[in-house]
Amino acid sequence: MKIDPLPIAAGLVIGGLVHLTTVLALPRLALEDAYTRVERLGSANQVHLIPAPTPFEATLPRLDPAFAHAVCRYDLRESPIRVTIPLAPDYMSVSFYTRHGLPYYALNDRAAAQRVIDLQLMTAQQRAVLPSDEEITAADRLIVESPSDEGIVLVRAFVREEGLLDATLARLREARCAPLG
Amino acid sequence: MRVLVILLALAVGALTGLGLTWLASARSNGFGAVQIGAWSVWPRSGTADADPYARASFARSGELPLERADGLLFEATKTDNGYTLDGRCDILIKGRLANARFWTLTVYDERGRLIDNPAERYTFNSTEIVWKQDGTFEVTAAPRARSGNWLPTGGRDRIVLVLRLYDAPVGLATRTGEQVDMPSVSQLVCP
Repeated sequence: MKIDPLPIAAGLVIGGLVHLTTVLALPRLALEDAYTRVERLGSANQVHLIPAPTPFEATLPRLDPAFAHAVCRYDLRESPIRVTIPLAPDYMSVSFYTRHGLPYYALNDRAAAQRVIDLQLMTAQQRAVLPSDEEITAADRLIVESPSDEGIVLVRAFVREEGLLDATLARLREARCAPLG
Repeated sequence: MRVLVILLALAVGALTGLGLTWLASARSNGFGAVQIGAWSVWPRSGTADADPYARASFARSGELPLERADGLLFEATKTDNGYTLDGRCDILIKGRLANARFWTLTVYDERGRLIDNPAERYTFNSTEIVWKQDGTFEVTAAPRARSGNWLPTGGRDRIVLVLRLYDAPVGLATRTGEQVDMPSVSQLVCP
């Protein structure tokens, strides 16, 4: 039997299109994405500690086991969010991700003026309607613009040795992520 | 007959399209990998410019990638000579490292999970490691305990080494090759 090459060729073209579409759509369709995993830790606009990863269980895959982590799933639809994180004994960073897990900003403890990282998270629209007198004081205020209404703030704190774990966790417990106002 | 032809085309299309997507998103950090010895780094995957493949892959696995301003993640699945890393062998990671505030070295299985071991050691970092006099270091990833810097592999056949440099200088990942110091990876004794 002779196989007609036309449907195969047409099929491969369709396949290419299907492939491109699904790759682009995957961040929206993924069932076990970071946001869904973080959702299980508790409500939005609150800081939750992430349990240390073990060989059998990990809230998020491939977090650095040398770090302690805290996370805040934010929702800016009501109001901007203020994030305050007291510095831990060692290296510390704060990373910002969109609803679909795309990193858009990060800073580390070098950027903290005092012994605390203090910033405001808002959308471009919320920033645009900031009163103008507020804009003046904004110079000494750190504002992070979120490209999406929802997203994730991940705090990474380095624990260079086991003995510093409790002190680091204590600082992470003092971290806040709450609506402004 | 005509209907059959269309159905066949659609079936081929769906299969190849979904198959390719499934494969591409399974274990990928996107395009633009920079190779330094055994190590691969994807400088753009930790930024808002990450390509669609990196985005799809991270969304599927649920990983929140290391942001570029935070650090850089290097991954090795092979030795310098191109042999696939085998956790049943003694794997030697030695040399010096590019200028960063500090680094961590972690062993994962091929699905990105930590490997169970009685010592409960999954990682080494530059502040706790035993350095040599000349400023270089040596870590052995091996199934059985040994003196010095030992990273247990649990005797898994496939392992992934992940080296994370924190607060690393900006130009690091954009340069290729010689100027960047990365440790060598070699496999010694295999059963």
